[in-house]
Amino acid sequence: MSELGELDRPGAPNSPGAWDERSEEWLVTETAADQGPDADATTDHAPGPDPSARGKSGKTGNARSTTPTPRRATADPVKALMHRHRDLCERAVDPLEIAAGLEAHGVTDRTAARFRHRDVFSLAEEMHARIPRDGATPKPRASEADPRPRVDWVLLTLLPGALCTATVVGLHLTHGQARPTVAAAGALAVALALRAALARGPLSPRSGTLATGTSAWTYWLIAYALLGDGLLRTALVGGPDGLPDGTPDAPWPLATAPFLALTWACASAAWTTHLLTARARRKLTASRGLEDFAASVRPLLLGTFALFLCALTALLTLTATTLDEPITYAQTTTLGALLLLSRLLAIHRFTHAPAVILTATATAQAAALATVFAARLPGCEVLALPVQTLTDTWGPGSVQALTCGTGALILLLHATRTLTRASAHTPAEKR
Amino acid sequence: MRIGLLTEGGYPYVSGDARLWCDRLVRGLEQHEFDIYALSSSERQEDEGWVPLPPQVSRVRTAPLWTAEEDEVGYGRRARRRFAECYGELAAALCEGSVAEAAGEPSATEADRFASALYGLAELARDEGGLVGALRSEAAVRALERACRAPGALRTAREARVPDLLTVAAHLERALRPLSLDWYEDDDLGSVDLCHVTSGGAAALPGLLARHFCGVPLLVTEYGVRLRTHYLTATESSPSVRALLAAFHGRLAAEAYGRAAIVTSGNAHARRWQERCGADRDKLRTVYPGMEASRFADVGESPECADPHTLVWIGRVEPAKDLVSLLHAFTEIRKEEPKTRLRIVGAPSGSEGTAYLGHCKALAAQLFPDEADGPHAVGDNPVSFEEIGGPELPTLADAYAAGAVTVLSSVVEGFPISLVEAMFCGRATVSTDVGAVVEVIGGTGLVVPPRNPRALAEACVALLRDTERRERLGAAARARALELFTVEQNITAFHGIYLDIVSRTPVRRVLLDATGEPLPFATPAEAHVPGRWTEQGLRVVARGGPGWAAGPPVRATAPAAATEGAS
Repeated sequence: MSELGELDRPGAPNSPGAWDERSEEWLVTETAADQGPDADATTDHAPGPDPSARGKSGKTGNARSTTPTPRRATADPVKALMHRHRDLCERAVDPLEIAAGLEAHGVTDRTAARFRHRDVFSLAEEMHARIPRDGATPKPRASEADPRPRVDWVLLTLLPGALCTATVVGLHLTHGQARPTVAAAGALAVALALRAALARGPLSPRSGTLATGTSAWTYWLIAYALLGDGLLRTALVGGPDGLPDGTPDAPWPLATAPFLALTWACASAAWTTHLLTARARRKLTASRGLEDFAASVRPLLLGTFALFLCALTALLTLTATTLDEPITYAQTTTLGALLLLSRLLAIHRFTHAPAVILTATATAQAAALATVFAARLPGCEVLALPVQTLTDTWGPGSVQALTCGTGALILLLHATRTLTRASAHTPAEKR
Repeated sequence: MRIGLLTEGGYPYVSGDARLWCDRLVRGLEQHEFDIYALSSSERQEDEGWVPLPPQVSRVRTAPLWTAEEDEVGYGRRARRRFAECYGELAAALCEGSVAEAAGEPSATEADRFASALYGLAELARDEGGLVGALRSEAAVRALERACRAPGALRTAREARVPDLLTVAAHLERALRPLSLDWYEDDDLGSVDLCHVTSGGAAALPGLLARHFCGVPLLVTEYGVRLRTHYLTATESSPSVRALLAAFHGRLAAEAYGRAAIVTSGNAHARRWQERCGADRDKLRTVYPGMEASRFADVGESPECADPHTLVWIGRVEPAKDLVSLLHAFTEIRKEEPKTRLRIVGAPSGSEGTAYLGHCKALAAQLFPDEADGPHAVGDNPVSFEEIGGPELPTLADAYAAGAVTVLSSVVEGFPISLVEAMFCGRATVSTDVGAVVEVIGGTGLVVPPRNPRALAEACVALLRDTERRERLGAAARARALELFTVEQNITAFHGIYLDIVSRTPVRRVLLDATGEPLPFATPAEAHVPGRWTEQGLRVVARGGPGWAAGPPVRATAPAAATEGAS
């Protein structure tokens, strides 16, 4: 008794005074170990598990003289039981869960009677009521590791750009008859590569199949980027007099630089989407409420979108200067933005809006071309007036820039509303 | 009578739970018509196909629970508000805590709140469709968040974070998929006389809705309590998710028990759970599971063929069976009766069971040295580990026949099937007091506390020494089993319950004439005669409508024509 620690140590009571909590804890944690002679005083009151159990088996024969020494029982058998099932008690959200868990461990109503309870349910209720609630909030679960970028989709997203580059190089190297063959083969290869790139990785739809029915309109938009401006320009001056021959200097020029930039931008789109998904998932685990989440995801969405536009602009500058073509920033960035946003929305299960916007954009472009040709009919000259005015003011590329820009803007507004919802980022359903 | 049998992941699928019981029930009650409404639990189960169905099954409708098509129905403003109201009510009811939390008995208002929200959602799905999309929408998550943050919500619910909310919403969407089914029309579930729900949980939802929409009485049968299974399986998620889902399943179970005309359980243990979850004691019936008795008949009728020095243990080898305790008991038995042998018959279940079996074999080899009859004979171990199907024990009945006493040493047990089989075989048994053992054995065998090898040994020795007592107990056990646990008993009990329900709470169908006026006396009194009272040939006509009444063509036109003719 010289040390302070020993003085402080609680012991079994010598008088019928109240137990304090610390002494109870001490008793329970050292149940199995020797507690000193004092503790034996308490065993008399406890309904020991073995004597009553043996009483039941009395009909099988009289008790032997070599009965095993009963395990030391505490004053509070329920506390010992709680200690044995402490995982269950800490986990349980209601008494029934404890009851189910106890029963799975073989506790029956007969066992519960030893704890002076009518049945397992009332025993579980006592245990649930006695779980210490220290008010400490459970620590947030460690967020599962972000999905690592995988080699397969990284390579696949680079494939369209590579194939397109090869096609352009081929077009530059070949002449005459071989050119249409190279162009057709290249177009087919690029289309297949695009399909493959969109079927895997972050740009792939999350829940099984994705039936948007927008691929035809997407192809139209890309084809317009490739050929539309040239067609419009020649149409306004009375052409076209022949099919495009694949050279930028021809009367109906082929705008390969934007197309090349867009195919390479597949990779950057995949990366930015991957970034957005991973960050959004992290925000999901970190945020406390839905408003919180929306507020934190909105800048993330806009940031990744801007990042993609920067990458696309850089790519466009690179390809245009390499191919020595005019740089068409407005048309290409708006088209890229439109395509990225529609894909982003579609993979988060919002398929309706992208379908409508893509259809409307493509229809507007087709209508612009159609009015120019229709104006050649006698008496319909006035039809070409809007497009004529537009091209006179801002050049022939303005039709594409205007249509795609409007579409992209609407989709961006829609995305800031829908993609900031937590339900859009629900993990895919496991089967 | 026409009975709508509602199953979840069970009959008629080949890999379904409880399909054997349902199959026997349907085949045994051939005087009734059965319409089967099955919810499949996985794609694999659907691909594996159905068991062959008897002719009394007139219709099978299935729906998947594992997937849901999101139909492209956008809600208008009113429908959206209606959905938000109902879902908000549902969420609020869940956030008040589970059934158990509400001091043992759920207050009437809370139960009503949950039920009215549930039926509100079902009515919305019936009127507007598109419930799947709405349940997945942000509005659902928002309603859930609002309910969790409301004052008076459960402590664990208040701590729910965004991923928890999403998990709960996704789970609720899955659980409420039966609401979107098109089963609740007058010619589907509306035309049956009785809905028999073969398990709690998701299968109870169509039954509840059929009762709500068409007034069809409900019979709920649970051999394993679904709520308990839910508690034991869902241990992975965060506390708030588990609290909310436990509240949902608890309230759903309470609602099913509350609306059911009769609730049956397989043993007293399941019945206590049902009672705990709010089932009225008057509604509860215990219908013991039935087992095929004929294959044990030969063994059961010739008790003298047993080897008087052999103990048999039969079952699946797993740690819960506590074979170690049995081996320790056997050492005590050998001290008293050195000629005794122990045969442990059974295959291990799972990798854990295999490891446990290896452990037990090693322990047996340590405890008991091999023994031989004389110095020139080859010895063997008094404890043998065998499996059914070998040359020595070709069938299960042979395994029971091999021993004079059957031992059950489990520490955890549900309904002890091997004990019932031993009773059919007329063998004296010594079992541990776990699960439904006492209820099954009655007074026809010895029961000792679990984890008490010495008591087990004493009981076994007492039986091994007393041949007459052994035979008396065996005969009594066989008589008891034949009385309580046969298939016929099970089927007769359900037949009686069907008649009971239909006579007490018949479906009141108001038939309308051509102008939409209710038609008095359109349903004749004979319509309530149990069994099939029409000729066999008329069944084709009757198939579209209720089984006991005339079919829709007759119902719609003939009485109307008659009244017109009269006026």
